[in-house]
Amino acid sequence: MTGRRLVARTALAALALLSAPSSPASAHHVGAYVPKDNAVTTNFKEVKFSVQAKKYAVALRLFDTGPLRAEMRAHAATLPPGLEDNTRAALAAGDGPEVERRLMIFFAALARDLALEADRQLARPDAPAEARIATGKKFLEAIWRYYNLVDFAVATRDNKTSVAVRLAFDEAETYVKPAAGGAAPSDPAGLRPPLQRIARVLSTLIDASSTPPSSSTTPRRNS
Amino acid sequence: MREADAPTWRVPPRWVLLVAVLSIVAAEIGGGSMARFKVELTRWARDGMLARPSVHGLVGVRDVDERILDEALVKFDAGLRLFHMHAEGMGLVIIATSMVAASVIRHVTARRAIIALLTTGGAGYPVGYLVWSALIPSYGLERAKTIAEWLVWVPFGTATIVALWCLAGLVAWSMIDRHRA
Repeated sequence: MTGRRLVARTALAALALLSAPSSPASAHHVGAYVPKDNAVTTNFKEVKFSVQAKKYAVALRLFDTGPLRAEMRAHAATLPPGLEDNTRAALAAGDGPEVERRLMIFFAALARDLALEADRQLARPDAPAEARIATGKKFLEAIWRYYNLVDFAVATRDNKTSVAVRLAFDEAETYVKPAAGGAAPSDPAGLRPPLQRIARVLSTLIDASSTPPSSSTTPRRNS
Repeated sequence: MREADAPTWRVPPRWVLLVAVLSIVAAEIGGGSMARFKVELTRWARDGMLARPSVHGLVGVRDVDERILDEALVKFDAGLRLFHMHAEGMGLVIIATSMVAASVIRHVTARRAIIALLTTGGAGYPVGYLVWSALIPSYGLERAKTIAEWLVWVPFGTATIVALWCLAGLVAWSMIDRHRA
């Protein structure tokens, strides 16, 4: 084989590799975003795992020094009275189910407040429909991020509430999905009823859960 | 060794090598600056986004906005990283492919055209990532991406792809031609 022929063959193989057509999805690769936990959800998980491991002293220290407690203080006006103190007391007493119940109330309250705020912002008629749908989508993501943390605890105590929230969430999601085939975007007003339902169901859950059960603290399924 | 058996790789024109080396140097400076000024760059991008809440769809609720800002900052950082990686890689691609073109294509006009396309395309394409990153705070993720696509990625990327296919075709043609002879 001559030197020139070797050059040509090597070059052809390399060029075939370089110029191989790529799929449109890989064109202009711009990286992928994987949502991260925020400080509150991270601290919640730390506390929760410490409680599950029955390391109550660790859980108490994480709660005392972490952003979860600071967030409880910041939202004190919309939370059941004494939630922060009672959560701390449950941690100090090593009462795992009670800690779980208090944290469930807190995150349900955060999700409810977000649902109420989303409903308020979607009610504003000055924004265009696309912007309101985009806003609704972002609120739904934030609501789910908090609610998802305690859905198991909710379902364990009150399965009907868990199902109601999930159904309302699924319904709300249908209004924020992109329109297929150039169809007109959904009416953002349709998002409001499921958001209102989420807020109402979670409010009921918070009110019902704020009183500790008299006979036993062990959670049970109601359906 | 006969003359026909001797290796015939040829050095590409000097300006091509200069552009390729400059691309690699820019990649290194970009990578170093990213690490050195990470806090300043993040602060600049964050301030830019907070100054234009409607562009980024910020709703004024921290629990919602922090995710939007985080995604934009991650993509801003990714753009800088991708510029670093692509500028480094495309510098080498320019050297390798223009060397093939200089060695294999005998037709002067075709050789010059392909080398010019490979060099401009290869050097220009990575700049798109820098443009994308720089535009994110002012125009938002998607709009910045569209601008970078039509301003940089599509023209320079197309130039590179067209040049590579032409080069592959010409190399194949010369092989077939030589086989017949």
